[in-house]
Amino acid sequence: MIRYTARRLLEAVPILLGIVTLTVLLLHLAPGDPATAYFNPNVSPEIIERMRENLGLNLPLHEQYLRWLRSFFTGDFGYSFGQHRPVAQVIADALPNTLVLSAVSLLLIFVLGCAVGALQAVRQYSALDIATTFVSLFIYSMPGFWLGLMLILLFSSPALPEVLRLPISGVTSIDYEFMAPAQRLLDRARHLVLPSFALGIASAAGVSRYMRGAMLEVLSQDYIRTARAKGLPETAVILRHALRNALIPIVSLLGLYLPLLFGGSIVIEVVFSWPGMGRALYNAILARDYPVVMACTFLFGVLVVFANLVADLLYAVVDPRIRTD
Amino acid sequence: MSRPEARTSSLVRRTALAAALLGAGACAEQPAVESGRDPTSVPVAERYGGTAILAGLGEIQTMNAFFSRDYVTDQFQAYVLFTTLLRYDDRLQPEPYLARSWSVSPDSNEVTFRLRTDMRWHDGAPTTARDVAFTFDRVKDPALPYPNRSAFDAWESVEVLDDYTIRFTLRPHADFLHGWTALPIMPRHILEDTPVEDLASHPFGTSQPVGNGPFRFVEHLPGDRWTFEANPDFPPDLGGRPFLDRLVYRVIPNETTLFAELRSGGVDMYVRVAPVFVEQIAEDPELRLAAYPFPNYSFIAWNPRRPFFADRTVRRALTMALDRLELVEVVRHGLGTPAVGPVGSWHWAYDSAWRPLPYAPDSAAAILERAGWRDVDGDGIRERNGVRFSFELVTNESRERGAIAELVQGYLARVGVEARPRIREHQALISDVTSPERRFEAFLLSWTQGMVLDERDQWACDRIGKPLQFVSFCDPALDAVMDSIPRATDRAVQRHLIRRYGTLIAEAQPFTFLYVEKRADALGPRLQDVAPDFRGELAGVRNWWLLRP
Repeated sequence: MIRYTARRLLEAVPILLGIVTLTVLLLHLAPGDPATAYFNPNVSPEIIERMRENLGLNLPLHEQYLRWLRSFFTGDFGYSFGQHRPVAQVIADALPNTLVLSAVSLLLIFVLGCAVGALQAVRQYSALDIATTFVSLFIYSMPGFWLGLMLILLFSSPALPEVLRLPISGVTSIDYEFMAPAQRLLDRARHLVLPSFALGIASAAGVSRYMRGAMLEVLSQDYIRTARAKGLPETAVILRHALRNALIPIVSLLGLYLPLLFGGSIVIEVVFSWPGMGRALYNAILARDYPVVMACTFLFGVLVVFANLVADLLYAVVDPRIRTD
Repeated sequence: MSRPEARTSSLVRRTALAAALLGAGACAEQPAVESGRDPTSVPVAERYGGTAILAGLGEIQTMNAFFSRDYVTDQFQAYVLFTTLLRYDDRLQPEPYLARSWSVSPDSNEVTFRLRTDMRWHDGAPTTARDVAFTFDRVKDPALPYPNRSAFDAWESVEVLDDYTIRFTLRPHADFLHGWTALPIMPRHILEDTPVEDLASHPFGTSQPVGNGPFRFVEHLPGDRWTFEANPDFPPDLGGRPFLDRLVYRVIPNETTLFAELRSGGVDMYVRVAPVFVEQIAEDPELRLAAYPFPNYSFIAWNPRRPFFADRTVRRALTMALDRLELVEVVRHGLGTPAVGPVGSWHWAYDSAWRPLPYAPDSAAAILERAGWRDVDGDGIRERNGVRFSFELVTNESRERGAIAELVQGYLARVGVEARPRIREHQALISDVTSPERRFEAFLLSWTQGMVLDERDQWACDRIGKPLQFVSFCDPALDAVMDSIPRATDRAVQRHLIRRYGTLIAEAQPFTFLYVEKRADALGPRLQDVAPDFRGELAGVRNWWLLRP
């Protein structure tokens, strides 16, 4: 296990190097640069030249590349001129918000997806199966931002009774600092509901399809028939024998859905005004705030690589047949 | 220029805190009666208290006035957290603020300001002449990218006479006081020891600003909100403690979400509301619109190196082919007025006798015909000497400009001219149009101006080849006029010169001037006495108050 983990971590190095290289190249090819973002007749050409110098933009490409590589290895991405503060601070503020949002969405994806999928398989071809299949396909094909906007319009509607309304933007309420600790927790939780739902629901629909298939396959196995034949109650057959085995292939989906989650967070964070990494990246790209773009892309890359590793390790944990060494 | 909201608007953001004019006040409608109490019946003493929540699409990046780059940030610095030496009154005359009075030497080479003695930084230190001198020194330092430096070009040196008296030497200039109305004074005791190149990253700007204005800094959650609270020690003769207890600015980068927040009462003001919501606001009895003319015009620049755009009569014909009134209605939902030239109706020197070129497609077609542009091959597009009158009209990814480009395409097709709209990413577009090779045929953007109209960078012969001389325009007579404007210390003379400037440009039509923007804030039912004008919405923030049910 340890050797396997170590090998996978080593394999991650070339992948991350690839990410860095691609990002540097893409930014280099993109028109405009931070200095044009600063375009203003009152800013003298000398200052713009100095900005270019500070960012190393006047260096040849390979030297710029080496500068970025150094940043990645030291973790010091320098200074965000868009936000007027160190990149490390930008990340420190944004990363927890994104992680919380992603974690809650992930939970939603798998809990809801597995529950619905399992239920569909158990009641195969029933009205319930057909109805939920229709709904999940509908949700699956809906763009996340559109769903987000619809949720926003619905849950902020003045026509809705006050108790049913949910916060549609931000992480906390304006009067957060005056709240008691329990109230604060509730306030944060309420703010999470809509964005995590909008971010996760399409993937949950996807997972439910996989789960339905996996569960159906397990249910047709001999050992399920054996379990039934020896007189186990149906709930025990489903929950203890079928569900646990059906979950094994689902774990590998984790590695598939995490990148989707981070990608989706860019749009969802903008729609729900969620101050996370996705939005930091989005704003940084528009402002050609290269240091933030680099840091965010790299971090997303690290998160995805790491998540894939965890998924593979989990796979080995849940399925004793798979050995990692 | 750094933010999504900025990309959609202007090519250049100058500090446009101040812009001119009498009689062009805001048109906030009367508050809705449905919301309960009649606001006019609330006694002044009962107006204190509450938290007003403003929200906009763009983030306020810094409170450090040396680095401000956008209109909303400028306002929060100048009107909320800090004070300026002078400020404009609602008739756009400079009036005392941090400076209690000023005097100008007979030869106009020296100005002496006497400061208030009761203004304190929010950490308790007094605000003195040394703060003003410090701010001035930094602004003049070429190592610092202060975006509004040109407003201080005429100001040469500074001498602190005592704690509350400061003397400047300067070259006589018509609008010499202007810069001081837009420059918040920064605290010397906090920033002095920081090297100029490190000022931008000083935590003062983003996490620990200390001001001396009517509101104090409370908190900044990056990407989320800024919170300010009333300064109880603000001098009474400047208005004293504001009515509001707290003022919050939230950034909500999606306009649908932002409007939903406004409608549900989560936000009291949608700063710079998108025109697409104008009708919904009019239909909702709970919402109000406060519109005000803004010194920003939208234009199409014609590259004269293309055979079709070299001739001014052709350019005029192209303008006449466009129904600019309809354009304002369709694209801006009425938030704008057709433009005459570079001097908008918001400016004090605007000539009310000016008229935009008429919308006259038939005359436009006739002019093109006379200029030799005829549709010989019958394909609906004119040509001359084998050159088709067909060009690429490039603009940025703003929805508004995309819509204009399509309308323009339709209008021009009717007079036998083919415009091919093309959307470019904003930065890429800027690179193209500012490059010395001028990689464009025609482009569509908008331009934000300041009250002081010194636009030689755009039009003067000696700026050809420089980034802002987009269309390589040259007219020595115009150069003479533009050079005289800043030297004209007499208001009447300056008015005459600015009008001459406006007329010459409008006649030559190096650009097609489409419309002058009106900006608008959408207000919820609670917030009262918001009356935006050219100074911006926050100039009167001290008087805002919340109506409670």
